Amino acid sequence: MSEYLLKIDRLSASYGDDDIVKDVSCGITPGEIVCIVGESGSGKSTLIKAIHGMSELRITGGSIFFGNEEISSLTVKERKKLMGSEIGLIPQDPGSSFNPIRKLSAQFREAMAGHGMAYDEDRIDGLLKKIGLQQGKAVLGNRPFELSGGMNQRIAIAAAMLFEPRLLLCDEATSALDVTTAGAVVDELLKIRESRGTAILLVTHHLGIARRMADNIGIMKDGRLIEYGNTEKIFDAPENEYTRKLIRDVPRLKK
Amino acid sequence: MKKKKAKLRKRVIIAVVFAAILVLIATFSGVLAPNDPYATNSELIRQAPSAAYLFGTDNLGRCVFSRVLIGARTTIASTFFLVAVSFLIGIVVGMLCGFYGGIVDDILMRIADLMLAFPQMVVAIAVAGILGGGLGGAMIALGITMWTSFARLARSHTLSIKNEPYITAARLQGKSGLQIMMTHIMPNILEPVLINALTQIGTTMIGISGLSFLGLGVVAPQAEWGSMISEARAYIQIAPWAVLFPAAATVITIVVFNYLGDAVMEYRNAE
Amino acid sequence: MTILSGKDLNKEYVNRDRSVRPLQHVDFELNQGEILGIVGESGSGKSTLLKVISGIEKPDSGKLYHMGKEYTGQGPEKTGKFLQMIFQDAYGSFDPRMSMERSLKEGSDESREEILRVIGEVGLTEGLLGRRPRHLSGGQCQRMSIARALLSHAGVLLCDEITSALDVTTQAQVIKLLMEIRDKERISIVLVSHDLALVSMICDRIMVMKDGIVVDNGETAKVISEPSSDYTRKLLESVITV
Repeated sequence: MSEYLLKIDRLSASYGDDDIVKDVSCGITPGEIVCIVGESGSGKSTLIKAIHGMSELRITGGSIFFGNEEISSLTVKERKKLMGSEIGLIPQDPGSSFNPIRKLSAQFREAMAGHGMAYDEDRIDGLLKKIGLQQGKAVLGNRPFELSGGMNQRIAIAAAMLFEPRLLLCDEATSALDVTTAGAVVDELLKIRESRGTAILLVTHHLGIARRMADNIGIMKDGRLIEYGNTEKIFDAPENEYTRKLIRDVPRLKK
Repeated sequence: MKKKKAKLRKRVIIAVVFAAILVLIATFSGVLAPNDPYATNSELIRQAPSAAYLFGTDNLGRCVFSRVLIGARTTIASTFFLVAVSFLIGIVVGMLCGFYGGIVDDILMRIADLMLAFPQMVVAIAVAGILGGGLGGAMIALGITMWTSFARLARSHTLSIKNEPYITAARLQGKSGLQIMMTHIMPNILEPVLINALTQIGTTMIGISGLSFLGLGVVAPQAEWGSMISEARAYIQIAPWAVLFPAAATVITIVVFNYLGDAVMEYRNAE
Repeated sequence: MTILSGKDLNKEYVNRDRSVRPLQHVDFELNQGEILGIVGESGSGKSTLLKVISGIEKPDSGKLYHMGKEYTGQGPEKTGKFLQMIFQDAYGSFDPRMSMERSLKEGSDESREEILRVIGEVGLTEGLLGRRPRHLSGGQCQRMSIARALLSHAGVLLCDEITSALDVTTQAQVIKLLMEIRDKERISIVLVSHDLALVSMICDRIMVMKDGIVVDNGETAKVISEPSSDYTRKLLESVITV
């Protein structure tokens, strides 16, 4: 068995009385891309939040390991240290991770200072160039509300990559974007994996994106992981009736 | 979360019970009053509280307890009436402004701005002064600024829902503006504006009592807390009870209604 | 037969020094019993076009016709007789304080039997009529708004991103329903969406819009297989499907 970067073992999590994530187990090896697919209410976003360590969320059972460290039992403060430097997060709404009315350069400076790094505009510029933003330095002088959603999402990716995390968590990272922009963001994520070997855990409702990106796919329904396997197997020989239905209902171009 | 809501709910119930008691007392004050509040008696001037005269008597030998009870009716009834009328005018004006917009909206809202430019009490004193004394004058004086807060609130809530799909859907069903306002907008903005009305009750009481205290509201001999305090303060060192009891009644009532308004508002905000 | 058409529609919004032109010389035609797809990304003007067609907004210039008769400038109170809209926000299309039954009865004087028939046709049951919107699922709510549109006997349904807030499986059901009622009730449908794959599955014709201009227009098969504009090609390339 290969060495897991992230290992989720029989995880259950809840906001209040009922578990939203129920008894989920899966793992990601370094450089692997795993997509968790599900519809609304399936618990897929909660799974990401459990890994990321949201304070309102209670882990009611099981554990999460990052490398050899059990992170599910860390305090919120200890977890914060790990986030950013080792695990990066790209949220669904890029606006939510930035202050809309502060200059991006100031926000980058603050984030880097928080991780004990000196502000290095050339490095950010280089990162932005890599993900297709040529005017990186000019962009940094803007405030997030002045930029489009696609632009902000790319900057969020750059911000996540700044600390060279070994794992990127993406929560519906493309669903708020236009189709053409979404395609570009998917390509950029694939490039990041190619060039740096970053492992990616992506949660989405979009089976098409999962097929394009994932090495392994998990299907979630009502909090449970009902099917897990490599991408070809999921699409060629799905075992679960619900998986078959999901695949069947994806709109396809009619030639 | 649920615990917090249950706690807030309890607060609302307590506040409602107290407010209801006050309203009941005011309503049945005629029956509850042990003595004629207007009967003067030259032999019983400035008597200290006793079994027959619970709160003592005033300068004219009138029963302070009975006058406080009857005064409750004056204060609470006029407050409710004033808030209700301002509420109605405000919600109608606000809804019309928000729904139709345009020049009428501009004019009415500038008038409202003008009203808000001065402290409410200053406007009220000026207007009540011009209108002369009397409860009616005091109410007009307070109402002239009060409707604006309801109108603003109703307008902003109307603006926020008038572009909801269900309003467009109703228009596509052939409904006129008036029908839409009555069936869709009014019921959906009623709650926040009603809660605002609740929170205004305390302030309005202070306003009415304050104007009466200044001699711009209720005229003698009608019993009203503000005018009672004003009358009795001349001999406060001889008969402090004649000031103390109407003042206590005023404070208690205002605290109860402010508490009610706050409790309901917090309960709603918690949702 | 052409049931709805527009000629040279223009719309401009001026906001201080910036101006946006979501409609520039747009023509369209909707034939009886047809499903017309309008595809574009955000800011393409597709939603503005739908608002202009429905009369919710007036075009700056250009003309609109229903069965050959001009209706330019008529508000939704009048256009509602021959067209109805289904919105992206299914929950928001119903008054949160009203039961479904009251909402459905609002614009039509149909008997209860007829209401029940239509409810059945959109795949819902009588028991849901007493509920308020928040006690329905997104899919049920969207079916209800289709039922409401059917009850008003309008010949045209304007659908604005009606499935983009729904789950994939629910989306498939609602789209199937649209096709069924088109066949059964002989209505014509305009379907606005950002999802080219979805539109290609059910539309007879497709219009592609970008920055307020119609860049491609034709039979679905033709637009998909031999797009006439670069933008359509780019959209086709961006379709991520399974």
